[in-house]
Amino acid sequence: MQAAKAGLDAGADAIYVGLKGWSRGGARGELTPRELEQVLVLARQKGAAVQLALNTIPRGREIDYLLERLPELKRWGITGVILNDPGILAYIHRCFPELPLTASIGCGALNVDDVALLEEIGASCIVLPGTVHPAEIAEMRPYVKAQIEVMIHMVDEFHQLGKCWMPSYFRTNPSPMPEMPADGERLTGSIKRGGAGVCFKVCQHPWGLYLNGQKKEERMLPARQVSRAPEVGAYLDAGVDVIKLQGRSLPPELIFPMVRRFRMAIDQVREGRQVLEVPPFELPPSWVVVGR
Amino acid sequence: MTQELFELNMAISNMKDLVASDLSPYDAVYLGNLYCRDYEANFLEKLDDLRAGIRHCREAGCKVYLTTYAAPRNYFLPQIRKAIAVATEEGVDAVEAHNLGVVRILRNEFPALSIHIGGFANVYTDMGALVLRDYGGTRVTPNYELSLEEIEGMAHSTSLPLEILVHGKMPLGISDYCFLLEYEKAWGMQCPDLCQQDLFLRQGDWAMKSTGKGVLSGRDVCMLEYLPRLVAGGFRFFRIEAISEDPAYRRDIGMVYREALEQAFSGVYEIREAWWQKIQAHAKVGLCNGFYFGQSGQLYIGSQPPAVSHQLRVIS
Repeated sequence: MQAAKAGLDAGADAIYVGLKGWSRGGARGELTPRELEQVLVLARQKGAAVQLALNTIPRGREIDYLLERLPELKRWGITGVILNDPGILAYIHRCFPELPLTASIGCGALNVDDVALLEEIGASCIVLPGTVHPAEIAEMRPYVKAQIEVMIHMVDEFHQLGKCWMPSYFRTNPSPMPEMPADGERLTGSIKRGGAGVCFKVCQHPWGLYLNGQKKEERMLPARQVSRAPEVGAYLDAGVDVIKLQGRSLPPELIFPMVRRFRMAIDQVREGRQVLEVPPFELPPSWVVVGR
Repeated sequence: MTQELFELNMAISNMKDLVASDLSPYDAVYLGNLYCRDYEANFLEKLDDLRAGIRHCREAGCKVYLTTYAAPRNYFLPQIRKAIAVATEEGVDAVEAHNLGVVRILRNEFPALSIHIGGFANVYTDMGALVLRDYGGTRVTPNYELSLEEIEGMAHSTSLPLEILVHGKMPLGISDYCFLLEYEKAWGMQCPDLCQQDLFLRQGDWAMKSTGKGVLSGRDVCMLEYLPRLVAGGFRFFRIEAISEDPAYRRDIGMVYREALEQAFSGVYEIREAWWQKIQAHAKVGLCNGFYFGQSGQLYIGSQPPAVSHQLRVIS
C-alpha cells in the first residue's frame, strides 16, 4: 500500500499491483483484496490507472480460479492485466476481449516478430527490457499497433528476464498460494511460478570459476542496474508508449525518488527541453544484488 | 523396427563437431548453436557448412533439423531467415524455434516447414502449447521446469507430440552477455575458444556448467531408470543434451539410450551395469532428474545401483 502510494504521489500515471498469490514480487509485496480496493480508490483520486500483475504462471485449477475472479476485479476498476504466459494471455483475451492485456517482460519479447505475435494473440501492450535500444524499437513501431512499453529502469541480471531457471535448479520451496481456496501452490524458487522477490538469487552467490578443473577465481555472475532517464526522449521518439520502472520489492522511500526522476525526465521531453536536470538515482548495492 | 517406434536426437553446433561425432545411435540431429552467434563456425552463421552438415546427417541415415537462436534481437533475424532458407532448400525435416518471433517468421514465410518448439520458448501451460500449435508448431519441448506429471497432462490435453530431455546437462538460462570475454587476456585465450573449454561454476557441492552466454546444470539429467514410464506415457521423442560435450560423450551416452530405449519399447526392461558405468564415466558432477519429479532440479530420485551411488543425493 505504501509503495503504491509513493509511486502515485511521485507522479506515476499507472501502477501494477500484485494480488496475493499471483505476482512475481513475492508474498511480501502483494495486496489483499481489501488493500487492492484501497489502492484503486487512491489511484482514482490521482487520476491514475491500476493494472493487476498476474505474472506468475498458474496451473490447471489455479487458472480456473483466476478466470472466475477476473470479472469481479474488473468491476472494482482495474484497467488491465499484465501476464507472463502467452497461452494464458491468449485465453484471457478470448474470454474478455475488451480487457487490456499487457505481455510482461517474462513473455520474452526482444524483436519485431515477437512483438507482432503477442499483439496477434491479444496483447494490447508489450513490455520490452531496457536493454533493447531505441533504434530497435523504432524498427518495431511500424509493424504493431499495440502499445510498446519499455522497462528503462531495471536490474539487468545475468540471465534474461523470463529465461532463467537457475534458482529452482538448486532449491524450490512449495507453499500454499494465498487466496487460493483449493490446492494452489506457489513454487518459491521458480521465477516463473511465484516469487522473483525470493528467487534465492543464485546468480549473486560467489561462485568458483573452474577452468579444466583448476579454480581461477571466485566471482558472481554479472548484473547491473539499467537506468536510462537521459534517454527517455530517444525512447519516446522511437515510438515507446509507456515508460516502465521496476519497482517491485523496493521500499516506498526508494520508489518515490525513482518515479520522481523519470516523471521529471518525461515532462522535460514533453516541454521540448533536453533531459539535463534529472537528479541521479542509484540503488544501494544491497538492492541491486540481494535485497530485491 | 524399433527405428520407427521412437526418435533419439541431439544437437551439434558446427561441422567440426558433427564430423567428429558418431551419429549411429541417433535418429535425428539438430544443427546449430542456439546460444551465441560467435560460437565457432556455428551452423547458423556458416551456411555452406549448414548445407554440408545437412547432407552429412542424411548420409548417416539421420533426420536433420535446424535449431535457431534462443533470444534473437531484430538484427539477428536476417541471418536466421537466410539459415532457414538454406535449410529449406536442402530439405531439412523441421526447424526448431525457441522464440515467438521465429515461430511467426516460420509460419508466415516458410509455411511448408515443420516447426518444433524448443525448450527456451517457455511452454509452461497447455494454453501456451496450443497457441504455438495454432502457429504451426508440430512438436513441443515443454519448459524444463515442468514436472513429468504436468508434461503428461500437457500431452494428453493438447495431443501434441512432446519432446523431452532424457539425458545431459539441462539448460538453466541464457544471457545477452558472455562473461568469459573478461578472461581473454588473463587466460591468453580468445573467443571462440573460450567457451569450448571445460568450465564449471562451483560452490560447495553446487555446480553449473558455463558456456559463456549459457548456464547448464552441472549434473547430468538422467532418466535411464524411468524410460519404461516415459514409454508407457506415450512419449516418443527423446533428446540427449550434448551440445557442450565431446564426441565420446555423444557416442557413449547415445549408445546407452539407444539400447535402453529399444529394451523399454520391447516391454522387457533391465538396466545393465555397463550402462551405468558409461553414464558415470561421463557425469563429472553427478546425476539429477531435472524437474521431472516436482523437486529442485539438481536432485536425483530413484534406486540407482552402487556404481553411481557415491555421486547421488538420494531422497527416496
